[in-house]
Amino acid sequence: MVSAIKQVPEPADRGVRQAIATDTTQAIATDTAPDRPDTVPDMTPDRAPAESSAASTAKSTAEPSAPRGPGKPPAGGGPGLWRGYAFRTRLWAKRARIVGVRVARLVRTGMQRLLPGIRYLLRAVHRKWRRSLQFRTVLTTLLLAIGSFAVVGAYLSNQIANNLFQERLAQAESETRYNVKQVQDTFDGAQVTDQSSVITLVYDTLNAVEGRGSVIQRRYVFEAMPEQTKPRNRWVESRASDQLTIGVIPPELRKAVQDSGKDQYWASTQFPVGTEDRPGIAVGNKVTFNGTVYELYLIYDLNTAQKTLDEIQNVLLAGGALLVLMIGGVAWYVTRNVVSPVSHAAVVSEKLAAGQLQERMVVKGEDEVARLGASFNHMAASLQEQITQLATLSQMQQRFVSDVSHELRTPLTTVRMAAEVLYDARGDFDPINKRSAELLYNQVERFQSLLADLLEISRFDAGAATLDAEPTDIVQLVAHVIEGVAPVAAEYGSAVTLNAPAGSVVVDMDDRRIDRILRNLILNALEHGEGRPVNVSVAASDTAVAVAVRDHGIGMAPAEAARVFDRFWRADPARARTTGGSGLGLSIAAEDTKLHDGWLQAWGSKGHGSNFLLTLPLRRDEPITKSPLQLEPVNVGLPVAGSQRTVVLLDPPRTGEAPASASGARGTMADGFTEDFAEDFTGDFTGDGGSGAVGGATAEGGSAGHRETGMEGRA
Amino acid sequence: MKARILVVDDDEALAEMIGIVLRNDGFEPVFCADGGQALDVFRASKPDLVLLDLMLPGMDGIEVCRQVRAESDVPIVMLTAKSDTSDVVRGLESGADDYVPKPFKPAELVARVRARLRPGDQKAPETLRIADVTIDVAGHLVSRGNDRISLTPLEFDLLVALARKPWQVFTRELLLEQVWGYRHAADTRLVNVHVQRLRSKIERDPEAPEVVLTVRGVGYKAGS
Repeated sequence: MVSAIKQVPEPADRGVRQAIATDTTQAIATDTAPDRPDTVPDMTPDRAPAESSAASTAKSTAEPSAPRGPGKPPAGGGPGLWRGYAFRTRLWAKRARIVGVRVARLVRTGMQRLLPGIRYLLRAVHRKWRRSLQFRTVLTTLLLAIGSFAVVGAYLSNQIANNLFQERLAQAESETRYNVKQVQDTFDGAQVTDQSSVITLVYDTLNAVEGRGSVIQRRYVFEAMPEQTKPRNRWVESRASDQLTIGVIPPELRKAVQDSGKDQYWASTQFPVGTEDRPGIAVGNKVTFNGTVYELYLIYDLNTAQKTLDEIQNVLLAGGALLVLMIGGVAWYVTRNVVSPVSHAAVVSEKLAAGQLQERMVVKGEDEVARLGASFNHMAASLQEQITQLATLSQMQQRFVSDVSHELRTPLTTVRMAAEVLYDARGDFDPINKRSAELLYNQVERFQSLLADLLEISRFDAGAATLDAEPTDIVQLVAHVIEGVAPVAAEYGSAVTLNAPAGSVVVDMDDRRIDRILRNLILNALEHGEGRPVNVSVAASDTAVAVAVRDHGIGMAPAEAARVFDRFWRADPARARTTGGSGLGLSIAAEDTKLHDGWLQAWGSKGHGSNFLLTLPLRRDEPITKSPLQLEPVNVGLPVAGSQRTVVLLDPPRTGEAPASASGARGTMADGFTEDFAEDFTGDFTGDGGSGAVGGATAEGGSAGHRETGMEGRA
Repeated sequence: MKARILVVDDDEALAEMIGIVLRNDGFEPVFCADGGQALDVFRASKPDLVLLDLMLPGMDGIEVCRQVRAESDVPIVMLTAKSDTSDVVRGLESGADDYVPKPFKPAELVARVRARLRPGDQKAPETLRIADVTIDVAGHLVSRGNDRISLTPLEFDLLVALARKPWQVFTRELLLEQVWGYRHAADTRLVNVHVQRLRSKIERDPEAPEVVLTVRGVGYKAGS
């Protein structure tokens, strides 16, 4: 782009280098020097001799090979122009590089301070790019428009520059031819008498070349050929217009002029005028004075052409920028018209999804967008109707259940008390009445727990459940619950063990609800534990605490584990309801957990028992990211009943080496009973499940190592 | 002498059943089926304890509780079909000492009644201090400087329990056992509400307690 705009040819030669050296940017001049060898082969004079003979004979017709110099015979117009571009390009590249380095330094120093801001900006743009169709469209349109204008602008600018240059070149060549002939004619007709008159004649002649009037039409450099076969005319010295030296003439041009006969050559150059350097065309030929051969170069100023070109380029640039902006505006307007209904629809549907069912789209006109809006509104209306209906229905249902539960309670209390009075007096009854009293008592009991659970669930459904959280030690609570279920555990012959290495974990929780969850989980484990031990583990991280309840009973399939929190769901419908659970226990536990923003997960494996993992956030406002315990036990594939198993106890001195031995043992221990297991589950597991043996092992385990195992061994 | 117990409940069957159970255990029940008349019956019968249903025709049980408490320190035990936190707390805040959620077992009801009717330990002359509060145990008096502070028997028991062992932190369960007489885990909200009520009476600034201190994650202890 740069080269396209600044393409008035300039020479890449010594003259330029000198001229530039006087400029402030000395660095550039010295920098260009190493590049010069690259350009030399392309330069005009090298090819000039070859082409010149043909050119001079064929005059203006022989130009098919030189497309850029249509009018004139001397070769090198094209390459000269090209050289000018190349130089300009390099010059600008250098300048750009220097500016770039400075900017980079500035940016680097500013970066430390600005980096967050820049990152934010980039992220914002990126986010906008991803999220806004309109932004993306407008940006793409702008970029494409800029690209197109760059290409078109480069082409136009190039063409204009080329034409301007060619015009000026043709003029320069014809003027030179004329002037050289004039000079030669004057010289030929001169009377060589005395030195001063000769000098006057020569200099007058040369000065006449500069043209009449105050404006210098062309400048000249008049230089004696360095190697003269004839003795030189000492009277006439080399001479040049103001400020010029032979240095402004590219050496390649000089060489071409020197080597040829009376042919005319040209090259782009740069020459000083006042304090500035101007681009120009140097046209050279030879003149003879009194047998001495001189090189005569006429230099034509390209400044006006350059200025014209600059102006045209400025106009092009400004016009292009304006057009790009307008295209951007048009793109923005058009996409806004198309996108805004869509984004409006997106906003409305988001609101709808968030529960604001009364949201509707604004419908205008009869176009596609309006049709979309109308059908969207229709959909929203029917959706709202359905949802409202459902909500009313479920509210009614919930209120009904809640009312029924409440209304049932008072008579149930009477029935229960009466049943208990009868039950207490059953010793006085005959066997039939006695048994009846017992059945009545037990079933009222069961009816009551079912009703309590039902009421609890209906309270959750109605959204009436509130969390009454305060900081409480969960380890103590777990111990308490285990203590509470001890009679049931004894009934099943299972030991309930507690492994809580943390000692004490204070959690923001509603202890009534957590108590209920844990009681449910442990009773559930006992019920399905087949008399094998139930292990309760507590572990905490910085943000969460986990309680795992593991049994080694019948277990359940993964599909069953997924359904275990469903209401009234039973793994095996045929299985006897031994504890008389309502079938709502785990559902209530799940609701209680949800109220705490906690997790309640179930894992099971047929024949290998199951594991329930309760994870609670330590503080109410910090969501759980990861449970401190893992849901799936490490040692699932353990042999179950019948096989001999070692009891691995975990004593404090060995805890340090436990991880190492555990990882080693995983593959090697013959019975597959690793210390991982011991660590996970308090290490008091015996295979033969007899309550005596379990109790014994438990007691040993408790005394052997655990701070928090006071609840063990109640079997 | 039989302890007289006023049963305020609109469900006749339940009231009768409660009466049977109470009589069976050696109490003398008095009945009232309407909230509006409860206060009159209370004044007339001068019971040793009130069993009060929260849902009553005429006057709300909570209002009855407030009025009874306004003129007497008689223990009040609520009977409630709602175990919602807000209802229970509202009942306790209106002055009830304890509550029994329906449906209850006869033994549970009797235990709660007995616990509230405890004649109190044989109190030896004893003076305790927490912060700037003086407690005369035998005289059932609490004072700060020359100002007497009026407490219900339950609040007094709670304060004495804390004051007797100022070095000990009491968990809510321990207080339930010592003050309310629960042997098994019960609702710790009882403790919370009564500690709030106690504080509102004896603390200079209930927001910054000095007499009854909270020990985060554990329970309560006496101030020094």
